[in-house]
Amino acid sequence: MKRILLFAALISIFNLQSSICFAQKLTGRDVIQKVKDRPDGDTRYGEMELTLRKKNGSTRQRKVTSWAMDEGKDTKKMMFFTYPGDVKGTGFLTWDYDQIGKEDAKWLYLPAMKKTRRISGSSSKTDYFMGTDFTYDDMGTRHVDEDTHKLLREEVKDGHKCWVVESVPVDKHEIYSRKVSWIRQDCLIAAYVEYYDKLNKLHRVLTISDVKQVQGFWTIQKMEMKNVQTEHSTTIVVRNSQYDVKVDKSLFTVAKLEKGL
Amino acid sequence: MKIYTIIALLWCLIPRSASAQDEDSLRVGVKGFVDTYHAVRTEAPNDWMSSRTRVRGEVTLEKGNAGAFVSANLVHNAILKDRSGFQLREAYAYYSDDHWDVRAGRQIITWGVADALRLTDIISPMDYTEFLAQDYDDIRIPVGGLRLRYSRDIWSAEVVAIPVSSFFDLPTDSENPWSVGPVPIGSEPSRKFCNMEYGGRLSFFLSGIDFSFSALHTWNKQPVMCNGVGEYRRMTMLGGDGSVPVGKFVIRGEVAEYLDELQSGGARAASTNALVGLDWYAGNDWTLSAQYAHKYVALGEHRNTGLSTLRISKDLLHNTLSLQTFAYIDVTNGGVFNRLSADYALNDQLHAIVGYDYFHADSGMFTVYKMNSELFVKLKYSF
Repeated sequence: MKRILLFAALISIFNLQSSICFAQKLTGRDVIQKVKDRPDGDTRYGEMELTLRKKNGSTRQRKVTSWAMDEGKDTKKMMFFTYPGDVKGTGFLTWDYDQIGKEDAKWLYLPAMKKTRRISGSSSKTDYFMGTDFTYDDMGTRHVDEDTHKLLREEVKDGHKCWVVESVPVDKHEIYSRKVSWIRQDCLIAAYVEYYDKLNKLHRVLTISDVKQVQGFWTIQKMEMKNVQTEHSTTIVVRNSQYDVKVDKSLFTVAKLEKGL
Repeated sequence: MKIYTIIALLWCLIPRSASAQDEDSLRVGVKGFVDTYHAVRTEAPNDWMSSRTRVRGEVTLEKGNAGAFVSANLVHNAILKDRSGFQLREAYAYYSDDHWDVRAGRQIITWGVADALRLTDIISPMDYTEFLAQDYDDIRIPVGGLRLRYSRDIWSAEVVAIPVSSFFDLPTDSENPWSVGPVPIGSEPSRKFCNMEYGGRLSFFLSGIDFSFSALHTWNKQPVMCNGVGEYRRMTMLGGDGSVPVGKFVIRGEVAEYLDELQSGGARAASTNALVGLDWYAGNDWTLSAQYAHKYVALGEHRNTGLSTLRISKDLLHNTLSLQTFAYIDVTNGGVFNRLSADYALNDQLHAIVGYDYFHADSGMFTVYKMNSELFVKLKYSF
């Protein structure tokens, strides 16, 4: 139901020169805010393959196609499952509001039932998305102030100069007690994120291994979330990313959700 | 030549997803499944209640704003022989642009917000050949008609016209374990222009609430017994529905007034139908949903009836195992029909489903099926 495409919006671009100038003044919140404010076009399109891998090596796949459009600080998104066959055609429409406390509006279309259902806007944030190792919150545009952020240090990770930011959720019902992000300074995309559970034990690790510029926008091509406690992992490969695509805002309506792809 | 034909067929069978760039090319979408379903009665004489295998194919052709959709079944039914063969489900042509959406042909039309209960959702009737032991989309009978919808950001208006109405499919054959008995059903309304069905719905989709108003000049599509014969008569439905998300809950409501509805015995009277439902998205892949629907008839001795539903579902093992229980509760008479099922995804395409249908009733709508509790297995391959 959520926001695979806009995961990229969590992980933004800095201007390297300005970051050097302001490095001394930057706070953890500043880094995360700049990540959130990363330019990513007014509209976006993408196709994603999600591969779920068990400890024994067996895999399962999900494929989704999605569109997104910004309306001021709010974002409207449409997503359809294209694989596997039993969920093919299932669609999600979400209107994400930037305002804290305002519930997102969400609709689910089930083709077998020929019916659209209004679903809870605040549920599932801590649930895992379609059985993957990503929570809905991981996939979405989490508001900056839903965590308190602390810039820990700068260091080189996998050959990239990074800011290391620790984020602690304000809401104690989150599934992680804290996360530590290595934000690349060259493109402002996280190279690596560690999620710690309620007992402060390392729970999941996100590795973003392939980042490229598409139409001038830095774009994640591949990332992997691994649950180090169960050794289950999920790899997301993003294909055919497009920005500023020509879509009418009428795409983000219940009528279009019911029409399908 | 043969190889080119095969290649052409294979090309047609490759599903093509929409993208931002291929709007003017012909797009072909194919999906479907093969499933086999078998159910055995857990009461004596422990006979087979269902044994059927089918292929479902769904094809979408689209070029620009126009397209066509066809859905059909190829069925082998070892119990109900006359249900074997080719079954056309939906077949309609459509035109859709930014605001207009027109569909003409055989189609399933759903209205309302109720889950598995029908108040305003009375256009597509129900196929009770195997009562509720079929998939829900198989239970809905498509109607041949025209649906025109105009939509804007937060609202849409829809009108429907159905020249020849479709009616409930009720099994009366004594060989069918789901037979309602040897009930004589009267003839359906004649195919005249004046008997066409028509109506409209105005819907709003706002950040904190969805709501709709609907009206339909229709028929009682489930035959009503009058002097020992099931009959159909004209009636008008005026209704409304709404959904309000509140935190992890969604509150749903629906009301429908059936004007001049045919009542048992032949009299005509208005009935008021109201439903309230609550969905709870509890987290950890738990979902709970409860509904209560009440019907009040302004005539007769038994003016009030109530029907309730309860659904609890839980996904496990990275969504590969889905457990669900869904119950209809006849509040008026104390009857229950409960379907308990476990659905395990063996891989991306193949699902194995086992379950148990439990009936308990001493009177009311489930009485005829009180000996029909059954154990079922199903294997489904989706493509």
